[in-house]
Amino acid sequence: MAELAKQTASAGTNAEILIEHIGMTYHTDGGEDVPALSDVNLSVAKGEFISLLGPSGCGKTTLLRIIADLLQPTSGKIQVAGETPHEVRMQKKYGIVFQSPVLYDWRTVRRNIRLPLEIMKLPKQEQEARVNHMLELVGLTEFGDHYPFELSGGMQQRVGIARALAINPEILLMDEPFSALDEFTKEKLHEDLLRIWRKTNKTIVFVTHNIAESVFLSDRVCVLSPHPGRLSAIVDITLPRPRTAEVRSLPEFSQLVAKIRASFEGV
Amino acid sequence: MKGPIRKKSRLLVPMVWIAGVVGVWELVAFLLAEVLKDPQAANKLPYLHDVIVVFVQNADTMLQAGEITLSRAVVGFLLGISIGFILAVLMSLSKIIEKIAMPYLLIMQMIPILGLAPIIFSLVKDLDTSRIVIATYISFYPIAINMLSGFQAVAKDRKDLLYTYAAKQPVVYLKLMFPSALPSFFTGMKIAAPMAVTASILVDMLSNKDGIGAIMIYSLYGGGDKFWPAVLTGIIMGILSTAAVSLLEWLCVPWERHSRQREGDSV
Repeated sequence: MAELAKQTASAGTNAEILIEHIGMTYHTDGGEDVPALSDVNLSVAKGEFISLLGPSGCGKTTLLRIIADLLQPTSGKIQVAGETPHEVRMQKKYGIVFQSPVLYDWRTVRRNIRLPLEIMKLPKQEQEARVNHMLELVGLTEFGDHYPFELSGGMQQRVGIARALAINPEILLMDEPFSALDEFTKEKLHEDLLRIWRKTNKTIVFVTHNIAESVFLSDRVCVLSPHPGRLSAIVDITLPRPRTAEVRSLPEFSQLVAKIRASFEGV
Repeated sequence: MKGPIRKKSRLLVPMVWIAGVVGVWELVAFLLAEVLKDPQAANKLPYLHDVIVVFVQNADTMLQAGEITLSRAVVGFLLGISIGFILAVLMSLSKIIEKIAMPYLLIMQMIPILGLAPIIFSLVKDLDTSRIVIATYISFYPIAINMLSGFQAVAKDRKDLLYTYAAKQPVVYLKLMFPSALPSFFTGMKIAAPMAVTASILVDMLSNKDGIGAIMIYSLYGGGDKFWPAVLTGIIMGILSTAAVSLLEWLCVPWERHSRQREGDSV
């Protein structure tokens, strides 16, 4: 626990996301209080790739939604770039990617990516330029005029990522974005995501229940345990970057996966 | 595994269907006239080809009457769409409005239109206004209800996405709610369109002045061979109204067409 406290403190005050004693309790209709998160402390540095890892019910999605201002915590304090999540959301500094691609079926790929730019009321020309850039970034230039149903699941999720990045957000929030994809597509997208991350330098908060995925992607993995959801460990991922498929076969990789898996056993 | 229905057989289905209707009609008419020797056969169910001959001979009268009935039905239908649309938006915006409005709407649907039509006629004392009012009255409900359920079926993460971009309410409706509910809106219109025609014919019947319903009534009591041609005209108007809405749907909701086609392919 002492190590945990030290790690949270080490990122200090210039943290991009600063979470202090966050708690979340749901009130059911029956008048019952269900604690979803209790006393979470976490600091995420600018440009960091951090994973929230845990089994279902550990509150990882709840924590992400609190950062995104989609949920209000019942206790504690959270600051994003020195402001409240609400202020950050109103300034349109969040990009969000959900578990399902959440594409609008009546819009082509191009127009799906353009959606947040339309809301920002950017000039038409800039919208076009950004959409083209995003299509190129996720490797879908030839599919701009296709409708979502014409794409595979992996391609749809790429569109979701392109849309999230189109507004050039400060922070990219990803809620189990690859969990519905097959293993091959998933591994390809992992490398793509890291490549995009290197290019864009975004701070990424990545929710997952897949240990290997969190190890492969992250700078740090935050392990959450259920009943009630709490932060039980933060593991530094010391693997070299840039990470390619070979990283998965390094002994350090397996060791880190084993270490994180072990941290769940006491729960 | 059944292949997609090919163009040829797609034409075949309605042709067989029409041939079936014509065949059964002619057969029953034959049975009535020749086998049962019913002296009233020509009134109960004349041969279809006789009906068509009289219809063609009286095409002018039928078209004129039909135009009066149909044009009022269309005006009422358009008013019904507007009212249904506004009601659906209001009810989707506020649970309280929905709870207040719903019992009224249900009760309004329970009042038999057959009883309501003479009441409206005696109130406004004008046939055209009555036709329009009754057609509006009967068509707004299916549109309001279908559209509301379309609004309510919008997935939560689709709304969360726009929330993340701090989109304002009008933008949410414009970019998400309306396009999402468009297929349901058309479902409602397809139900409402022939109902509006029926409503207009019903009001025709209140007087023997003009309209298809008036021809039906005075042929029914006064005799003559125009009853069945008038019924035929009514049927054609009903079919035309549905076909017009379906055509509009085909033009306005291309993505539904695509996804339906894909579902068909995967069967």
